[in-house]
Amino acid sequence: MAKIAIDPITRIEGHLRIEAQVDGGKVTEAWSSGTMWRGIENIVVGRDPRECWAFVSRI
Amino acid sequence: MENAVGAVIPDNARIIRNLINGIQYVQDHVIHFYHLHALDWVDVVSALKADPMKTAGLAQSISDWPNSSPTYFKAVQGKVKALVESGQLGIFASGYWGHPEYKLPPEANLMAVAHYLEALDWQRDVIRMQALLGAKNPHPQTWLVGGMAIPVDPNSQNAINAGSIAFMNEVAKKSLDFVEKVYIPDLLAVASFYKEWAGIGAGVGNYLSYGEFQNDNVSNTTNTWLPAGFIRAKNLAKVEPVEHKKVTEDVAHAWYKYSDGDEKAKHPWDGETNPNYTGPKPPYEFLDTNKKYSWVKGIRYDGLSTEVGPLSRMLIAYASGHKRIKEVVTMVLQKLGVGPEALFSTLGRTAARGIETLVTAEMLPVWIGDLAAKIKAGDFRIHNPEKWEPSSWPKEAKGFGFHEAPRGALGHWVVIKDGKVANYQCVVPGGWNSSPKDAKGQRGPYEAALVGTPLKDPNKPLEILRTIHSFDPCMACAIHVVDAERDEIIKVRVT
Repeated sequence: MAKIAIDPITRIEGHLRIEAQVDGGKVTEAWSSGTMWRGIENIVVGRDPRECWAFVSRI
Repeated sequence: MENAVGAVIPDNARIIRNLINGIQYVQDHVIHFYHLHALDWVDVVSALKADPMKTAGLAQSISDWPNSSPTYFKAVQGKVKALVESGQLGIFASGYWGHPEYKLPPEANLMAVAHYLEALDWQRDVIRMQALLGAKNPHPQTWLVGGMAIPVDPNSQNAINAGSIAFMNEVAKKSLDFVEKVYIPDLLAVASFYKEWAGIGAGVGNYLSYGEFQNDNVSNTTNTWLPAGFIRAKNLAKVEPVEHKKVTEDVAHAWYKYSDGDEKAKHPWDGETNPNYTGPKPPYEFLDTNKKYSWVKGIRYDGLSTEVGPLSRMLIAYASGHKRIKEVVTMVLQKLGVGPEALFSTLGRTAARGIETLVTAEMLPVWIGDLAAKIKAGDFRIHNPEKWEPSSWPKEAKGFGFHEAPRGALGHWVVIKDGKVANYQCVVPGGWNSSPKDAKGQRGPYEAALVGTPLKDPNKPLEILRTIHSFDPCMACAIHVVDAERDEIIKVRVT
């Protein structure tokens, strides 16, 4: 029995951590964790809605 | 925004948006297959043992792509050899080379490595269509509420004209050529060695698509070239219509705080983005997964953990009776000798991405033709200013903007009050798929897909990467960094 953590997962865009419980040569439980905060939603509040696309399309 | 204020865009703007999104699918999926996913199946170092003559024989047996001579493959092998001998693998560093789960013969590995390198050049060339229509790539710049900010005028050098149409037709031909003669044959050849992966990595079995490639000038989920829909519990006999009000975000296991308690999920119009990190102080060994453990919210459709992406779109199209997609899905299943149930898997996800690339690449010349016909008929309209001025908007408005990004369903919800944004929530494809558990304990799609995955060596979790990469993760589309000081990527604790 082992618990493993892979952080960062590479060959993706962004930051991802996977934790997994491994028993008998198989994954028996897994946890997916985004390790990066994104605050774009809060940036556009109060702005002219016509310019939102230029901010939010950067996600 | 257009949905909130009821803007109607002109035909040309709709066609240009479809072309920008279409070439994005084709380029992005090919990059994913060769540069982000293939090395989970292809052992680069094994390519050194290949016989270039036999590699040429293999390549010529599956395609008439011209770069297939023994001399060509010998040169590619020489490049890989020089990298390996230098001890600095560069783009091929940090692989699990020699892992017993790599099954391809050396010749297939060499062929795939050659195409990995060719795809690097190809992708740079074909995305120029997006740069032409969007002013740049990535992040095209020509969007405008009510249309597009790119002129169409056959009499101007600085607008979409006959020259641009001819250029786009060349790009479309180059796109389809590579997909037909390199990507699809490689996909089928590689997949034939890994058929057991048609039984691994199924995941949650619920699939959502908002639909893509709009046929109408007011975006909707009922008239798109790739159909919208929801498939519940792998039931291909019934495709449910999409209702955006069924989308919710749960923060039971996400580092956010809801003002009225974290137990109840919220629709994005009522959504809140208040960060509330409660995890361990880095560096840490493991997260406390009984509590909050991710920056990604638990996104659900009708309360269910739901997968998005090319597999969802192809399943929904297949189950909705989309003629061309049915043909290609059937061809792929026949060539691999598997039934439709094989689609619910890691291999199915990777195959669906290839199928979508082919059918989209086939449509590019059709949409370019539509644009050329509009220009020929003298219709150069690209923007409708009727809903541009805030005085034309209601005092309060709510909008749902949606699109199928290459990686899956993307929705933005906006609430507008007195001409300003009062609330905004982005529910992105990577968020759907990488969702953590919710208040009911339902696993997110990655989590569910990993349970049951065999793992030969916990120190080299190649099998986990195969399933995770099959989803094409995009964690908020940011840069990713490998910390050179803390080069330990895998942590194993035997309990």
